[in-house]
Amino acid sequence: MRRVLVTHIESPVGRRLAKALYHDPEVALVVGVGTAPEPSFLAPYRGKIAYQRLDLAKARHLQSFLHSERFARARVDSVLHLPFVSDRPGERVPGGVPSLVSETRRLVEECVARPAIERFVYLSSVFVYAPEPGNVNLVSENQLLGFDGEGDADVRAWIDADLICQNELHGSSLRMTILRAATIVTEAGEFLNSPPLAHGEAQIGYDPMLSVVSDRDVARALVLALHADRPGVYNVASREIFPRSQLRDSSRRLGPLVLPEPLGGALSLVEQALGRRRAHVTSFHRYGVVVNTRLAHDVLGFEPQYRIEVRGQGPRRRIDTVRSR
Amino acid sequence: MKKDEVVTTEGPALGSDPFLQGDGTLPYLLRLREASLRVVAEARPQPHERLQTRDRDGELSSEPPDLGPPIPELPSFDDRDESAGALDRLAGWLLTRADDDRLAQLFARLDGRPYDEFGMSPRVARRALAFFKLLYKYWFRVESSGHAAIPEKEGAILAANHGGLLPFDASMVVADGILAARPPRLIRTVVDRWAGSIPFVNVFYARVGQVIGSRDNVREMLGARQLVLIFPEGMAGIRKRAADRYVLQSFHLGFVEESLRHRVPIIPVAIVGADDQAPILWDAQPLAKLFGLPFFPITPTFPLFGLLGLLPYPVRYEIAYGEPFRFHEEFPPETADDPHAVRYMAEQVRRRIQEMVDQRVIARRTKRT
Repeated sequence: MRRVLVTHIESPVGRRLAKALYHDPEVALVVGVGTAPEPSFLAPYRGKIAYQRLDLAKARHLQSFLHSERFARARVDSVLHLPFVSDRPGERVPGGVPSLVSETRRLVEECVARPAIERFVYLSSVFVYAPEPGNVNLVSENQLLGFDGEGDADVRAWIDADLICQNELHGSSLRMTILRAATIVTEAGEFLNSPPLAHGEAQIGYDPMLSVVSDRDVARALVLALHADRPGVYNVASREIFPRSQLRDSSRRLGPLVLPEPLGGALSLVEQALGRRRAHVTSFHRYGVVVNTRLAHDVLGFEPQYRIEVRGQGPRRRIDTVRSR
Repeated sequence: MKKDEVVTTEGPALGSDPFLQGDGTLPYLLRLREASLRVVAEARPQPHERLQTRDRDGELSSEPPDLGPPIPELPSFDDRDESAGALDRLAGWLLTRADDDRLAQLFARLDGRPYDEFGMSPRVARRALAFFKLLYKYWFRVESSGHAAIPEKEGAILAANHGGLLPFDASMVVADGILAARPPRLIRTVVDRWAGSIPFVNVFYARVGQVIGSRDNVREMLGARQLVLIFPEGMAGIRKRAADRYVLQSFHLGFVEESLRHRVPIIPVAIVGADDQAPILWDAQPLAKLFGLPFFPITPTFPLFGLLGLLPYPVRYEIAYGEPFRFHEEFPPETADDPHAVRYMAEQVRRRIQEMVDQRVIARRTKRT
């Protein structure tokens, strides 16, 4: 019977996870932590899930919690770390995405220092992989990460946090499992943890494919990783993939169109001369990330149960999650 | 009304039924659905199988018969899209019902997904097939032979000679796999990584099922028992000058290694005609460096007539599939790590393709004279 600490349980994935853990007979107790006041959706689960409000980005918050009587009584032996990255202004992690790095480092260090904590499952993102013209198809877990110093700050934060967790994969007492999830689609049709969809710009001539996954399937994968106790790195995605343009349309985040190089480069010089802001275009706007999930299937037994469907055309386009037959 | 469709319905004595007359221009979705239903009907149990569900007393059992796993849903070519565009209607006009049947078989494995794992869209592939079918039948007038070498279900590597500046040779082999092979097979061409960075081209290639050449991609495709078309000459094949046409350049060795590792045969494919479609007189390397291109061809028509000069001449194509090389049956997978053995095998394939090409080129010249 596991006793689990779940970070950012107030997030959409945390909400799904709370329900899954509540109904899981192999889980005895869940301590959920989050920056917001106790979310109302936890009310029915109070018999098994305790909530603690704290800001993981602040060292003293985490320290005081980990040394508290409450934490000692909980006898936590596993941690599910969910970096909550939402693009909605009111739901961002305090300090922005880069705080993800500091809170992950701190949390991992504290867990390593506590022998009672055996397992650590970290929800990473597939956007840590380097997008290149040569890897448009089926990226596996051993693909190089995108160490681009001039890349998107959000992506750099994801990579740094992923590397911090990777350090514990070998020779550590902590049994670390890293789940790299594709763009997470919620029931409301919103996207989470997806830097390519955070900005509406599009580059003409490119329409990369992106993997997606339902928030319910991510919660399932987290539970499977918790119980499987198979340290390693696993990609998590549904079978469907979509062009970025379709996801962008359905998210209603439409931005300017950017000309491809070398025309775009020349134009940006003109824009700079005129004092206009250059459109935010990264390699994710050109090259896709479609991941191979065979390892998660074979080792963790992960099989997506929800299909993602994009319906309609143009501005009427919307995204749905549908339970597989 | 298409040539190969036979109308057997009895029409009125004078004039014709306008609803029947519209058969050739019916919305393609309706026609595709009919095609899908026909394929499903073939997979349904026959009447004698149904009789087995009677119990000992001869009464019909209330339990549903055990018919095994459900038949996968056949693609409807994005029937959620209520408005079929002009391109779809045009494709419906150019493709026959038999063509749509073949496409329905090929895309059945997608189980209704709008894109496969490599970004191929059945809908875009259908539009492209309609266009390439025109080229296949009327521009290049392709004659193909040796389809028996193509496995019906298993995966294989097709190794072919390359030429002709723009990769119409690849598109003709892919079209041949759909239009002429029995049963139809989707042949996936491995394209240069550079193509993945070219605006528009990268999207088009992905949507019609071409795959960027990485070992991981080849492994995935062979693992899924697909046919992979590789041009072992690489870029050297399409940049060779007219004086060297139909002379195979040295082969890259990766295709032999993948064949040994994934235990699939190598089918030699000879393509005659591609080297004549755009004879390169000179490769202007200084201009290539200036524009950041791998080569800059000077042909009789390019750059004289601008981009129109890149269009291929209407030459006749011949595609021949040879007897497969089954190195994997003679050598263990570890042989892929032996560079001498791999080079030897690649040379065997190269010689065989060269022989096949030479035979056909000589036959053409003899025919002309």
